[in-house]
Amino acid sequence: MTSMYNFKRITVVPNASELKDVVLSKTQRKTPTVVHRQYSIGRIRAFYARKIKFLQQTLHDKLTQIINEFPKMEEIHPFYSDLMNILYDRDHYKIALGQMNTARHLIDGIAREYVRLMKYADSLYRCKMLKRAALGRMVKLLKRQKSSFEYLEQVRQHLSRLPSIDPATRTLILCGFPNVGKSSFINNVTRADVEVQPYAFTTKALYVGHLDYRFLRWQVIDTPGILDQPLEDRNTIEMQAVTALAHLKASVLFMMDVSEQCDRTIEEQLHLFESIRPLFANKPVLIGLNKVDIRHRADLPADKAALLDQLEKEGIPIVETSTLTQEGIMSLRDRACDELLAQRVEAKIQAKKISNVEDSVLNRVFVAYPAPRDEKVRAAFVPPGLAAKRAAKKLAAENSMEVDEVTTTKAGSIGEFRDENTRRLEREIELAMEDDYILDLKKQYLLKNPDEKYDIVPEIWEGHNLADFVDPEIQSKLESLLKEEELLEQAGEYESDLDSDDEETKEKMSLALQIREKEKLLTLEHAVNKRIAGRVGSRVHTRKRERSMSRLEQELGDLGVDIDTKKMKNLQGQCAKPQLGKKMKVGRSRSLSAVRPAPRDEIAFPDEEKRAHVNKLRTKAMRGLRREAKKGEADRHVYDLKPKHLFCGKRGNGKTDWR
Amino acid sequence: MALRVDYEGSNDVGVFCTLTNSYCLVGIGGTQNFYSTLEAELSDLIPVVHTSINSTRIVGRLTVGNRHGLLVPNATTDQELQHLRNSLPDEVAIRRVDERLSALGNVIACNDHVAIVHAEISAETEQALVEVLKVEVFRVSLAQNSLVGSYCTLSSNGCLVAARTPPETQRELAALLQIPVVAGTVNRGSELIGAGMVVNDWVAFCGLDSTSTELSVVESIFKLGEQGAPTSISNQLRDTLIESML
Repeated sequence: MTSMYNFKRITVVPNASELKDVVLSKTQRKTPTVVHRQYSIGRIRAFYARKIKFLQQTLHDKLTQIINEFPKMEEIHPFYSDLMNILYDRDHYKIALGQMNTARHLIDGIAREYVRLMKYADSLYRCKMLKRAALGRMVKLLKRQKSSFEYLEQVRQHLSRLPSIDPATRTLILCGFPNVGKSSFINNVTRADVEVQPYAFTTKALYVGHLDYRFLRWQVIDTPGILDQPLEDRNTIEMQAVTALAHLKASVLFMMDVSEQCDRTIEEQLHLFESIRPLFANKPVLIGLNKVDIRHRADLPADKAALLDQLEKEGIPIVETSTLTQEGIMSLRDRACDELLAQRVEAKIQAKKISNVEDSVLNRVFVAYPAPRDEKVRAAFVPPGLAAKRAAKKLAAENSMEVDEVTTTKAGSIGEFRDENTRRLEREIELAMEDDYILDLKKQYLLKNPDEKYDIVPEIWEGHNLADFVDPEIQSKLESLLKEEELLEQAGEYESDLDSDDEETKEKMSLALQIREKEKLLTLEHAVNKRIAGRVGSRVHTRKRERSMSRLEQELGDLGVDIDTKKMKNLQGQCAKPQLGKKMKVGRSRSLSAVRPAPRDEIAFPDEEKRAHVNKLRTKAMRGLRREAKKGEADRHVYDLKPKHLFCGKRGNGKTDWR
Repeated sequence: MALRVDYEGSNDVGVFCTLTNSYCLVGIGGTQNFYSTLEAELSDLIPVVHTSINSTRIVGRLTVGNRHGLLVPNATTDQELQHLRNSLPDEVAIRRVDERLSALGNVIACNDHVAIVHAEISAETEQALVEVLKVEVFRVSLAQNSLVGSYCTLSSNGCLVAARTPPETQRELAALLQIPVVAGTVNRGSELIGAGMVVNDWVAFCGLDSTSTELSVVESIFKLGEQGAPTSISNQLRDTLIESML
């Protein structure tokens, strides 16, 4: 909520000597440390320049961090900047931060200057001396800012302990003379624990508490008491209260001590009110008349009462309170909150100019009520047990309040209003059974016969999904069927013999028998054929000669044509006759070819024997070449069977092996 | 009474739970915390039933129901259907509907009398709503939000719609539903009202992140508190709402 004003995150500001040690050792650790005289001078210069630059960068970063992390007086809320002015003195603070900035600049300048000088150094020694001078000067600058570092560290510690006040949120501010009961009030309405003592200026700083009212969170600020004196005479403690009053847009609760036990008369207190009244401009102001347990407002002398009445006439509400008896505290709180809320809402609505209906804020406070559409009643349904349950709950709550009013151990657990009769919760069972717990889905089944709860019903039976065969009306259907059957039986439907022996029927029956037999035959035949066709065998066996004399005879015979074998004699004879004569040649005749000379070996060696011998020699000569030709990549090949370096030269001791 | 609960760390209790006046369905989860919160609150009045729909735990988004019945999507397995049938009272009719927009909870919002549905829902589903849930059905869309079930919640007492619904739409809805309608949020500003809370006529469960302002709006519109009435939203709660939102 107050992330913008969280001063707890500022990192610790080191003191000057600590910072010096830190940065120097870091430079030593993070840069190279070895350099030699014989290195080229460029390398030596770079070595030392690097060290200077590194230190400069480190210091620059550290100082930048400090400068950035501390809040800028000009940028923060005026309440905080004034508070810081009072607590830490604006000038001092700014100077300290300014010095950090100057130191950063100077360090940058020194580093630049010495890096430039480095190029005139002509030996390792001179380079080193330049580096030493640079580091020394930079570190010395830090030492000079010692007091600023210390001051900033103190400021940081104090800032981090400031209460996180959000200047923009809903706030109630308590103010008044010391010892009038401001801290008691905040202790009563919030959970803040502000010290209360019976002497003035117990509260020396601002304290913050929070309360919930109308579903919102409110911030209550307890301020130190203020005395009735001109502004320039006020001390730091009082000024904190004044700052809060001046800058926070809040509801002001001016606390007064009606009993005058704080050693201030009512006149004095009212005078203070008048003198700080300019601070309350445009803010809701309420007066809390505290300590009415000692003296009531009615018991006041007439002149004092008149003063208060006068104030009330001006429109400033006066609420009588007592932090001791808690009388009036809540009404004061509520009135203060309501007035501030009304003011804030009005301001917001005006500022935002929410006139367009599209805005989601206004339609969220808009409730659309229905105009009756018809006469139908659409009532809410409330189960009969609910009223009794609520009453019991209320009773139990009241009882428990009475019983442990002091301890108030309201755990807010699930089983708040439960006794031994109520059902055991699953969570309780789960906790009791720990790892053995298994959720029992069937426990709460609402069945006609509770014994059937845990019956095992298979999901799949013999490959069928049982649910597909479930018919909720099967029982009634069966019954109706049975009834129908009974009726039929009674009507004598089944008694008459339907098998009559007339001729027509007999004929039909015999025909049907024939058909059936024929069917059977066909099936068998088909099976046989199929078996033959499906058999795997050689083509010779499976391929049947399609055209044959006998088949022709049979088929034509079936058709009624009488084919005598003798009549077809001619055809048979034709078939049996072998083919005669030479086939006639058609096309181009064969061309003549030239006489080929004898092979060359025959020409060269006409003598057979010699030629065989020569052939033998040739084969032998080619053997090596052929072998070479057959070699492939994958064949083993030793390039050098006896490498020379292994087989010559002297042997030393123990060198035999590797040869 | 409105309660804050969470379902295994999720604020979207409306996703994992369906609450009606005669039963409550809860998705089967890793622990019984959520279930037992509902159980403690409801089990002496209505059955609180563990279930899964199509083996998922998002029962609130997949089913829609009221006092008279329950519609489940087509993907519901036979076993789940049997379990539901065994667990729910006999007066509650259950039907499996073959709807293309199968997350019925997202596309339908209903109380015991009226249902508002997504404009593209099939005629068969509409028929089922009339027969099983015994409601009048209206096809509407909440401004640019067509998923009416996700962006609004209704009981017989009132209706809470997403915050950005314009007043004209609210008036139309009120006329259709015959109950007061208000725009609001749950779970610290979430507009997914239907997913963020469940309600029936006497109790509501909101996500754990809901602010007290949101809860007070819920109690008022659904008439859950002892003094709660929808009028208080525009009276007592007005300043608080404006202050917390601007």
